[in-house]
Amino acid sequence: MNFDWTTFVLEIVNFLILVWILKRFLYQPVLGVIARRRADIDKSLSDALQIRNEANELKARNEQYLIEWEAKKETAQAQLNAELASIRESKLAELETRINEEAERRRVLTERNRHEFERLMEEKGIAQGAAFTNKLLMRLASTELESRLFIVLMEDLQGLREQDKHVIAIAAEEPGLQIKIQSTFPLDTSKRGELTRSLHQMTGKTLPIVFNTNPELISGFQIDIGAWILHANLRDELKSFGGVLRHAG
Amino acid sequence: MDIPTVVFYVGPFGITSIVVTTWGIMITLAICCWLGTRRLALVPGKLQTMLEGLVLAIEDNINAVIPDHTQQVLPFIATLWLYIVIANLTGLIPQLHSPTGSFSVTAGLALLVFLSVHWFGIRSGGVRNYLRHYLSPTPLLLPFHLISEVTRTIALAVRLFGNIMSLELVALLVLLVAGLLVPVPLLMLHVIEALVQAYIFGMLALIYVAGAMQSQQESKKGNDI
Repeated sequence: MNFDWTTFVLEIVNFLILVWILKRFLYQPVLGVIARRRADIDKSLSDALQIRNEANELKARNEQYLIEWEAKKETAQAQLNAELASIRESKLAELETRINEEAERRRVLTERNRHEFERLMEEKGIAQGAAFTNKLLMRLASTELESRLFIVLMEDLQGLREQDKHVIAIAAEEPGLQIKIQSTFPLDTSKRGELTRSLHQMTGKTLPIVFNTNPELISGFQIDIGAWILHANLRDELKSFGGVLRHAG
Repeated sequence: MDIPTVVFYVGPFGITSIVVTTWGIMITLAICCWLGTRRLALVPGKLQTMLEGLVLAIEDNINAVIPDHTQQVLPFIATLWLYIVIANLTGLIPQLHSPTGSFSVTAGLALLVFLSVHWFGIRSGGVRNYLRHYLSPTPLLLPFHLISEVTRTIALAVRLFGNIMSLELVALLVLLVAGLLVPVPLLMLHVIEALVQAYIFGMLALIYVAGAMQSQQESKKGNDI
């Protein structure tokens, strides 16, 4: 067991130097990187924890949002249903009103068509009646009927109202006026004289009188005194009868 | 075996082969550590994983004994373990001898342990508290404490020196008597013994340091009470 003081001292110095070397080049770097890794892991864990907490918070918020959204949806749906029901009711009411109006319009139109149809039928009937009467009267037209009508004419002239006589007197004032008398058949001299006298008496003047025949009158007379015309024939009577019937219809 | 060869002289001081071997170990360790730790990354490679595993294993062992002062004593204890392991295994290399097979070396290491126990003890609780623990539980035990300090230091030095020296001596004797390949199993035993002795030396040093530091804490607690 030899003991060497130089080796002893140098060994102590060497060991202390080795402690420094290993501390500088091994322990500190390795422990440092381990500490950094642990810090990183801790940070990652902390971040992960924070992310998980945030995720849970977001999840809770999302669930709450979904609940609120569901409630809003139900409220909006109920409101929509109510609005739809209201609109449907108003539309139904409006439609019903329109249907009633349309029904009324159709009823009025049907009524008018019916009246029109009735009027047309009446006019047709009147026209057929007039044509039939015209045809019948044309077959019945004769001097005898004309003589009877002459008598009626004379009665009518004598039975004129004072107002009509006044209108005839005014019409006879027209200068150069001729009284035109149309008849279906030629009048004999006595009837012409009787009629001339009666007209001169009525107008108060001896106006010239022109006699003509007009077969279209069917039977009877037409007297023109200026603007005043006296219809005493079957044609005009039939026209007047048809017009009265139309107005009455 | 016990007489180291002087390689060269620096003035009156003869530099022995043991010191030169120690320098070689130091340079090798420094280069390896520098190469291994110059590109450390958060995602470790194989070499970095190995280095981290080594340092963490040492740290865990120290932490199991003295959890409050792990970082404080780690450089000293870890260097003891690493140096003694490598120094013990150096004897397996032909033409080289384990530095720990020299009593001068083991005595130096034991002296360092002896001094570090007081150094860490005083740093932990102050001079007065540290010296007071020699008087606890009763001043009558002071001589025994002092004897214990000396004897355990000597025991440290002699235990390591004796084991390593005897291993090399036995291997040499077997080689001389039996032949070339017969000492190979003995060399395997050398590896195990080198590891065990390094662990024992470092663990004892750790326990001594921890005892000194924790005795201060117990003294503090007793004073507080």
